[in-house]
Amino acid sequence: MNFYSLAGKMIPFFWIAAVVFTAIGLYIGFFKTPDAIDNGMKQYYRIIFVHVAASWMAMWLYGVMVFWALIGVIFNTRISYMLASATSITGTLMTIIALISGAIWGKTSWGTWWDWDPKLTTFLILLFVYIGYIALQSAIEDTRRSDKASALLALVGLAIVPVIYYAVNCPDPNQCASLHQESSLKRIEPNILTAMLVTTLGFWMYSFATILMRTKNIILQRERKTNWVANLPEVIAGGKK
Amino acid sequence: MSDFFHMGGYAAYIWSVMGVALFFMLLEPFLLVLKRRSILQEIKRNKRLEERRARDKGKT
Repeated sequence: MNFYSLAGKMIPFFWIAAVVFTAIGLYIGFFKTPDAIDNGMKQYYRIIFVHVAASWMAMWLYGVMVFWALIGVIFNTRISYMLASATSITGTLMTIIALISGAIWGKTSWGTWWDWDPKLTTFLILLFVYIGYIALQSAIEDTRRSDKASALLALVGLAIVPVIYYAVNCPDPNQCASLHQESSLKRIEPNILTAMLVTTLGFWMYSFATILMRTKNIILQRERKTNWVANLPEVIAGGKK
Repeated sequence: MSDFFHMGGYAAYIWSVMGVALFFMLLEPFLLVLKRRSILQEIKRNKRLEERRARDKGKT
């Protein structure tokens, strides 16, 4: 069985898992958690379930994209370049959701939509790196060259991920201005943590589903002149119309 | 129930975040399905063209 048909068989399962996990995660998040948390945050902290899930996926998918790009560079396998390219769009989308949900959260808790805080700024750079990757890929006609060039860009851009991760609150607010709170998984209320992790799992399954759908599209596009594509059931069906 | 949707006065913020996420996460698969349809249509069209060309060649 080739990758194309295997992906086609897996996509529905990823969709089911995405809906189930996200629904369970949000259910726990909205019904099994307190209305306010220790550090003075009121109900608006519930934005966390979408915000953290999207932010984690944005960073994680960047790593996944670099992984496939790197495999492509080393082994010169076309499918891994296609996976890298497919991952970049979903990664961009997650980055956008993270930034918008962060802005809305910022408005409620900090009173501002945006601040040039280290975490926010580095996250914006992540968005630009994703966009740069996509732009470079579509700017070069020859897919072999565009795959390689954008793979290198992705690899260089990887430097931003640990920077985002460690760009947290500085210990002394007089020394540096930073609004974004520290990631404090250990101090968090167990049900909030569970809701966050399960929602993230749901977003992960969503990413699998959309990335595989996009990879199938890319395969069809790149291989459109081959015999195996011409003989695919979806191409033969209704072909006479 | 209305208490739940009210979210202690933060309804606008919380539900707009949920709405934004839902919007993007429905838009992406929707566009992917549209894209797939247009690619398949193009492949079918090209296939038909080629078959016609092969037939015409056979006649002359």
